[in-house]
Amino acid sequence: MKQFLLLFSILLSTVTLNAQDFEYGQITNDELALKNARPDSNANAIVTREFGTTKMKVDYDAGLQFMEFQYHVRIKIFNKNGYKHGTITIPLSVSGAGNETLINLKATTINYINGVQTKTILDNKDTFTEKSSKNQSLIKFTMPNLNEGSIIEYSYTLQSPYVFNFRGWQFQSAIPKLHSEYIAYIPATFNYNAILRGKQKLTYENAEVNKACYNVNHTVIDCSKMTYIMKDVPAFIEEAYMTAPRNFISAIHYELADHIGTDGLKTKITRSWNDLDRDLIKHQDFGQQIKKKEVFKDLIPGIIKNSETSLDKAKAIYAYIAKNIKHNFYTGIYSSGIKKSFEQHSGSTGDINISLIAALSAAGLDAEALILSTRSNGTLNNLYPILTEFDYIVAKVNIADQCYLLDASQPFLPFGLLPLECINGKGRVINLTKPSYWYDLKASQKESTNYMLNATLDADGKIKGTLTTYSSGYAALDKRIQISKSTSTDDFVEKLDERMTGMTITDHKIENLDSLDQPVIETYEIEMNAFDHMDQEQLFYNPFIISRITTNPFNLNERTYPVDLGSASESRIMINIKMPENFTLADKPQDVVISLPNSGGKYATAIALNNNFLSVSQILQMNRSMYAPEEYLSLKEFYSRIVQLQKTDILLKTK
Amino acid sequence: MIRNLIFLLVIFLGTPGFSQVQINYRTDNIPAELKNRANAVIRNMETTVDMRSPENVIITVKKVMTIFNDNGNKKGALVLFYDKNTAIKSVRGQTFNSFGMATGKFSLSDFIDQSAVDDGTLYGDYRVKAYLFNPISYPYTISYEYEIRNKQNLVIPDWYTNPDADVSVEKSSYTFISKPEDKVRIKEYNFKGNPEILKSEKFSSYTWKVQNISAYKPEPYAPVEDKYLAHVKIAPEQFTYYGHKGSYTNWEELGKWFYNDLIKTRQKLSPQTIQEVTELVKGISDDKEKARKIYDYVQKKTRYISVQIGIGGFQPFEAEEVHRSGYGDCKGLVNYTQSLLKAAGINSYYCLVYGSRTKQSFEPDFANIEGNHIILCIPSKTDTTWLECTSQESPFGYLGGFTDDRTVLACTENGGILLKTPTLTTQQNLLKRNAELTIDQEGNVTGKIKTDFSGSQYDNYAYLTHKSYTDQLKALKDEYDIDNINFSDFKLVQKKDDNPKATETVNLSIQKFASKTSSRVYLVPNAFNKSGTISELKNRTLPLYINRGYTDEDEIIYTIPEGYTIEIKPKDQEIRSPFGIYAVSIKQNGSKLYYTRKISINQGTYAPEKYAEYATFINRINQADHDKIVFKLN
Repeated sequence: MKQFLLLFSILLSTVTLNAQDFEYGQITNDELALKNARPDSNANAIVTREFGTTKMKVDYDAGLQFMEFQYHVRIKIFNKNGYKHGTITIPLSVSGAGNETLINLKATTINYINGVQTKTILDNKDTFTEKSSKNQSLIKFTMPNLNEGSIIEYSYTLQSPYVFNFRGWQFQSAIPKLHSEYIAYIPATFNYNAILRGKQKLTYENAEVNKACYNVNHTVIDCSKMTYIMKDVPAFIEEAYMTAPRNFISAIHYELADHIGTDGLKTKITRSWNDLDRDLIKHQDFGQQIKKKEVFKDLIPGIIKNSETSLDKAKAIYAYIAKNIKHNFYTGIYSSGIKKSFEQHSGSTGDINISLIAALSAAGLDAEALILSTRSNGTLNNLYPILTEFDYIVAKVNIADQCYLLDASQPFLPFGLLPLECINGKGRVINLTKPSYWYDLKASQKESTNYMLNATLDADGKIKGTLTTYSSGYAALDKRIQISKSTSTDDFVEKLDERMTGMTITDHKIENLDSLDQPVIETYEIEMNAFDHMDQEQLFYNPFIISRITTNPFNLNERTYPVDLGSASESRIMINIKMPENFTLADKPQDVVISLPNSGGKYATAIALNNNFLSVSQILQMNRSMYAPEEYLSLKEFYSRIVQLQKTDILLKTK
Repeated sequence: MIRNLIFLLVIFLGTPGFSQVQINYRTDNIPAELKNRANAVIRNMETTVDMRSPENVIITVKKVMTIFNDNGNKKGALVLFYDKNTAIKSVRGQTFNSFGMATGKFSLSDFIDQSAVDDGTLYGDYRVKAYLFNPISYPYTISYEYEIRNKQNLVIPDWYTNPDADVSVEKSSYTFISKPEDKVRIKEYNFKGNPEILKSEKFSSYTWKVQNISAYKPEPYAPVEDKYLAHVKIAPEQFTYYGHKGSYTNWEELGKWFYNDLIKTRQKLSPQTIQEVTELVKGISDDKEKARKIYDYVQKKTRYISVQIGIGGFQPFEAEEVHRSGYGDCKGLVNYTQSLLKAAGINSYYCLVYGSRTKQSFEPDFANIEGNHIILCIPSKTDTTWLECTSQESPFGYLGGFTDDRTVLACTENGGILLKTPTLTTQQNLLKRNAELTIDQEGNVTGKIKTDFSGSQYDNYAYLTHKSYTDQLKALKDEYDIDNINFSDFKLVQKKDDNPKATETVNLSIQKFASKTSSRVYLVPNAFNKSGTISELKNRTLPLYINRGYTDEDEIIYTIPEGYTIEIKPKDQEIRSPFGIYAVSIKQNGSKLYYTRKISINQGTYAPEKYAEYATFINRINQADHDKIVFKLN
């Protein structure tokens, strides 16, 4: 009995501390019997076990340090839709700084046919290497002999010369995982900040010292052995209106804080904002470029010669940079040289906006750099200053008590409006002479559209009149982009006319296309057939003729992640139709005010017939860009009531 | 799929001249009619294909293009594909502002270089180099010339006079040069005029020239572009391809070479595999039943994975290799199925086809290597069977809308044969829906639907087949995009016989489907099947083309609550047109309301001026589909 207890406790301890790789090819009965019930019955495939470990190593012959990542996974494929998880792509970084290499790739498909296990091993010749772009190669293979119920298993070792990018780990993926485990051996000479993202909780976490794990120049170094286990991880499912998935996928990332080199000297990478400020200001591609005011010095008088106020000067310089340096599709916070990019009239966001900061400064304006993380890049962490999390730079110019955020790299942006992609939490303002600080990124304008229809209902059942649309903020930006996609404004209107069946545009005018600070004004003379004939006692007519909402964008029954609409928005519709004299309004959709909780939004209508004028007014406001998952059902109900209301008609009767 | 040939078929053009100011590049020199509707204009383009030998075909392109706006800028991009058989020998280019002043130069080192493999392909060895100029203002002019060497002459790129919509052409020419003794077949399509022909002892050349072609606008419901764009096809009689040599002048010879050189040698099966096939069909006497059994076996055993290596994507993997790995692309899977059928003593044809929802056929009168997909045909005097081998779900003998109703090339040992795949008719492509819905006092609806899908509509729901039940219900919310709809007890049953049919049954509820005011209720009786609208084009230039006919029949029986009296109901109507018929009616019987809707659209090609009539027809249907019943509340 005593022995039994001992055995039991050993078993128990291995259960909790058995943090190590599992044996290749040894399928457990549990895996064999596994059905797609746990933890997610929707799964087409499931990771039954996954193990990874990263160690720092030294190649003594070459005298180089490298990082070695070992990966091993076993996946059960439940059905044909799960076959896609049997095709594997492993990206490798290749660049001037060195190439990552993959070794020891092993892959096996295990099938059970009539209870008999058969194994098909991946043939080496069926593994492909594709040089997908300048800095990346892809190792690709697909598992042989896949069937419903197959178990696939593969493992490999990836060696990387990029020792400063300690490999992170994704606990969550497109399919659920029963057990995902990662062990990181971090030498004492390296100090990393670890950031855990996502909703899922670690099942197990442990840190211990791993003695003498690493040896550089005959110096024996200890490592921290960090173990992370997550069990029963649900699949990550993307939802509509979602900010960057990487904000929500459960994963661990590392960022180097400092390290001690082979010479024994400690190099700080990032520690505090002070350090980062200093680094950035000294940085050849950042601070040193911002300082290059001389590039624009001689040009400034010409650019601002018609500007009186500081604001006018800033606007003139903004317009000049936007016109003279075109975006080359690359983003980033650095400039490889503002002089060169100005001469070539082409540059990255970094080149363009650093040029803008330099030019504004050259004109004596108070301009700073603001670095941020775009929506698709993800949210910044709150714990440590991590430079690589920033992927975009804009200019911040301070005039009197006002701050303006400027991005000269994107077409059609008015002065002071940032692309929606940049409105993501907060940014860090980097000033050449002062400490850096956080700045809330709020859209300076919302998406706003006003429609006005003034028309007359003729005796022949036709509505004729003028429809004027004012688009401002992000709505104006969208409109300008849309119109620019047509060969000409005439072409744009022609396509619009063709698309709107039942309505004809007889004349048009589009104003302010090039005055970016003004709303885009579209004026259309329109005609539409409201009634086939008017000699009826009663006429039903749907008054929601402009921007009718017929389907609910929030039609699902549950929501896991926040709803991200991009920006707050407002739409106003005002219709005035002069009616023939002999009509009364016998029935109409109720005038309503529908509100979202916590001042999230509002929809209101008012319909009336006064002095032979039928007036229909509507306003739809969404006051926030972000709604919590708990608010989803309110959003659904809000839109549902709008859809219902807009299905109802007015009833006109002859007097 | 066969390696995408498009890149070989698209050619970019240009002119020489690398001096600092090019007076004739001034953009104000461009005639007004070439600016109309154009995002860019090809000022001058000279394409030369010099077939020095079957292994050495030099393509040179010189092109000058003026770009008017951002949309046109993509057309100014220089995109060059290459692989083991296609080498980019030289590229140089220059840009000019609107006054014809040189603003910059570029060469191959300015290009990005990346894999040109599409997402659906696991591996392929073709790559692309691309250059896109980033102008600070429009218009600007780009001029470039490049040379490409092809180590094969089986595929000679087709030449189009004006390949891109919204781009006009000031001048363009195409010259084909070969040895005097080389025999080539040439065919012009939609081309007016004749080539200049020069013959000498050393070479013969053909030159086609065009000028002042206005930009055309893409139009919806138009035939495939080859039907109206002017282009020239060239096919040399003697050819070399990845070390394979051959000759052909017609489909028969091409099909014969294709089978004997590329396929026949790939069909060897191991004795064990042959034994497996023999076991599989043991006791079955009917060939069709044997084939059915083998097709089922292939569907269970294999899956579609595209790997393109070796001979330009035309040669299939070894059959035994597919047997071992359990995957292959269309070539590999057809070749494998054909090999298994052969082992069971059944003869079948390996068929090249254009696979796409829009039908495209091989031209009987000009043999040329074409198509992008392979299917299998089991010939029979009375009962020919066609098989799509890349699908694990297709019923035996069902091709569906991807390869139906078109001419294909069957490659056989004795020669190529042009065959026509079966047509799915308007009547066959049927959606038939019956629903019973009950409306309550609040306007909420509950009930059930049964829908049959057949013909080309059989696979409307194919994507749902392997989804989990929860995901199926989620997907139905998109299929039936109705506010506040909820589903339960969804079932999809597929009857995979000679006339395949998929049947959906589902229960549903829709909150507040009928909208209420204080005294009235509004109901759109057509709950599930509303046609969209189409653009009412002002100046239609291309024929109206309806690719495939179909029939939808919907019947909904509503039970309405007490106290609902019909105040207004849409009139019953039948709209007849040359393009099809639409009929809708609403009958009341006590508390029951019977809504029926039938639409049937015929396939066909019609004169451009018929487009307006078609748009009116479709848009009237759209209106009728949204008609409302108004009930008065007692």
